[in-house]
Amino acid sequence: MFNNVSNKTPRNLLFIFEVLTLFLLLVNQWDNIEKTVYYIWIALILVIYISNYILNRISNGDNYIFLLVTMLMSIGIIMIYRIDSNLGFKQLLWFIVAIIAFYFTYFLMKYIRGWKNWGKLYIILSYILFLLTFLLGTRKYGAINWISIGGFSFQLAEITKLLLIFILASYYSKPDMFKDNKYSDYIVMAIVYSFIGLLFLQRDLGTAVIFFGIYAVIQFIYEGKRKNILYNIGLFAVGGTIGYALFDHVKIRVQTWINPWLYIDNKGYQITQSLFAIAEGGFFGSGIGLGYPEYIPLAYTDFIFSAICEEMGAFTGIGIIMLFMILVYRGLKIALNQNDKFFRILAIGVSTLFGIQSIIIIGGVIKVLPLTGITLPFVSYGGSSILSSFIALGILQISSEDMGFKEEEYSE
Amino acid sequence: MYNLISILFKYVFIIIIYLFIFSIIRLIYLDIKSISPVALEASAYLKLINRRDSIPYKIEEYYSIDGELIIGRRSDNDVYLNDPFVSKKHLKIVEDEGEYYLEDLDSANGTFINKEKVEDVVKLSNGDIIRVGSIEFLFVDRG
Repeated sequence: MFNNVSNKTPRNLLFIFEVLTLFLLLVNQWDNIEKTVYYIWIALILVIYISNYILNRISNGDNYIFLLVTMLMSIGIIMIYRIDSNLGFKQLLWFIVAIIAFYFTYFLMKYIRGWKNWGKLYIILSYILFLLTFLLGTRKYGAINWISIGGFSFQLAEITKLLLIFILASYYSKPDMFKDNKYSDYIVMAIVYSFIGLLFLQRDLGTAVIFFGIYAVIQFIYEGKRKNILYNIGLFAVGGTIGYALFDHVKIRVQTWINPWLYIDNKGYQITQSLFAIAEGGFFGSGIGLGYPEYIPLAYTDFIFSAICEEMGAFTGIGIIMLFMILVYRGLKIALNQNDKFFRILAIGVSTLFGIQSIIIIGGVIKVLPLTGITLPFVSYGGSSILSSFIALGILQISSEDMGFKEEEYSE
Repeated sequence: MYNLISILFKYVFIIIIYLFIFSIIRLIYLDIKSISPVALEASAYLKLINRRDSIPYKIEEYYSIDGELIIGRRSDNDVYLNDPFVSKKHLKIVEDEGEYYLEDLDSANGTFINKEKVEDVVKLSNGDIIRVGSIEFLFVDRG
């Protein structure tokens, strides 16, 4: 059956999947059809199909990552739309904006050279974004990491995540970033830890772990002084223990992870509801629209994985995990094939970002890891999350192209 | 009515998702199987610029250049392109004291280096794009 797979097969399967979801929605809303939703949904399906077609032509790099991601977001959008049609409508619009952002990033990175020379600029920008968050931030779900501009809420840490990857990539591909300073490796470590500390103050624990994860992976691969890796792990262990001892919100996360059933009436409620939902779904799920995902708190963002497992089954859940695994594998494959060091580190950073972020949140909702509030990339609702994930994907797409010889031309 | 369709669709969705995953895994498998490590050892090689899966006949991603390399439509050439716009013996690349020269073997449709037609013999330099028919190669010299 798979002997005659061509590169059109996944694209067409994705197209069938999306048309079927549209059909399901049509049957559901037969009496009361909202036309604009259909127009936008059809537009999105066409944008995805044409994008997958065009990317094969304009990019000589990888042609799987965009397919994988569009499958993930198609699964996500059905679920979000089913839970809350207003949010689903907004999410459709966000996806179109995000795909434009993807192409924008792709062409920006392709035609502007010298990204590796602006390490200091990235550092300054990151601190400015942190400062803005502290000045304008509002508290949402226990973390002060949202700012609102003109009715839209943004999580600036989503952008800082990408800046961190750029900082590390420009440092390790051009170690003379801090002139001839002997202690430049410690300066970078101090900068990364200052980011983690600031995130800790914002109570954004999930993002703090992502920052540490990206830094640890890139450092493990590229750090010349192997001692520094041990320092890094030691520092994080000590910091984590101190954080656990001093801050209540860290303690609660761990307690509800070890035994949520003791706190089922308040603190552990989220996790137990999520576990009930996954168990309720079984292998094939209850069918879209026939389950009760509204009983899961935040089912459209952090807990979308449980909502999907409930209505579309544990098999779809396993499918999502497999899609993320292939995505991360492709990302690392891209890094192995890339000759330019800067773009290689970018590819490693972005695939680590996708990998760690999905592990943390999927692990959190199935009670394998302590729960921290972050989004599942490409699946969860959230404008800034979708936007930054697609920008990251654009970076990965450009990293998959042959940059080596063009860079040589540039440096001469 | 909706409930029935929804229950039916949940199986359809799962089947489609898994078919999608397996078709991608299959494509990646085919992709990995075809990578030849030969090119990575040679100091000079040709890298295919076209997408390999857009070409309707068998072609490699890399061709290493050991002394001499002949490209043409006949299957006894080093690089064999089953393309109507390629002559039976189309062009030759020869190494001479560390330099590489491209010679057009009186082909019907010509050979182009960086969009300029090759008249006789041209010295190749790293990064040159060689076009034969509709196929484009990147010349890489690491020596």
